[in-house]
Amino acid sequence: MTERTFNRVSPLQDVAVQGRFGADRGAVGVSFTVRHPMSIITVIARAGQGAATAEALKGYDAQWAGPDQWFVLAEGRGEGALYRELKSKLSGLASVSDQSHGRVIIRIAGTKARAVLAKGTPVDLHADVFPAGKSALTQMAHVGVHLTRVDADTYDLSVFRGFSESFWEWITEQAEEFGYQVI
Amino acid sequence: MLIPCPHCGTRPVEEFTFLGDAAPTRPTTNDPSSMEAWYEYVYLRNNPRGTIDEYAHHSGGCRAWLVVQRNTETHEVYGAVTARAFASRKEAVAKGEQA
Ligand SMILES: [Zn+2]
Repeated sequence: MTERTFNRVSPLQDVAVQGRFGADRGAVGVSFTVRHPMSIITVIARAGQGAATAEALKGYDAQWAGPDQWFVLAEGRGEGALYRELKSKLSGLASVSDQSHGRVIIRIAGTKARAVLAKGTPVDLHADVFPAGKSALTQMAHVGVHLTRVDADTYDLSVFRGFSESFWEWITEQAEEFGYQVI
Repeated sequence: MLIPCPHCGTRPVEEFTFLGDAAPTRPTTNDPSSMEAWYEYVYLRNNPRGTIDEYAHHSGGCRAWLVVQRNTETHEVYGAVTARAFASRKEAVAKGEQA
């Protein structure tokens, strides 16, 4: 039997066009990148196994995604590889589900990133309460967003694939006043 | 109206879906003699003026079920706990009454 291979296409491939947009004087306020392809795995601890699951996820890029729930992320892994690894590692501890094709992660970076996000989320993004590495589940423009602070001026926005185009249109529009760049 | 989610911190009411009064307790038996209790559980609700505990789903956030205590008259929100914590507290109170 021949092995089937396929190229994963980002749902934003035809939408996230590279270039500079919006206000065209001075430096851009923010830049956008679509993180693709990503391995995105949902981990939900079984009853009473939250702490044990958190312990087992040490060393992974595991982001808080609700009580005893995480998104585990990785770049450059083969199709389904991280899923299979976690499925066996967390056997008996947690339910594991591969959402790599189901979500899209948009990275927003720049001095105006916080100002752009503040137009959409009620989450307090001050560094004292929302430091790097912290995640929140929220809504922006009626779309459920998993928001993570990467560093002082960089955030990742993870949304359902089906909402990603509409979300992209909304967030880039919010960035127009500052000028933005799509990388 | 701001609701202090125990998982997410203070969030606006728009992120929550309310189910209703958390006071009724589901009967634990299907015995025909419990039909009166089932009728009360399913259909009868108080309409308090003042403090009420209500189930709320943080649908736009952590997706956890909570119980929010608020005042129907002043709209003041007193607090929110997980539905699980509320249920065990209710169970403890019921046991205390039996004893
Ligand atoms: Zn919450």
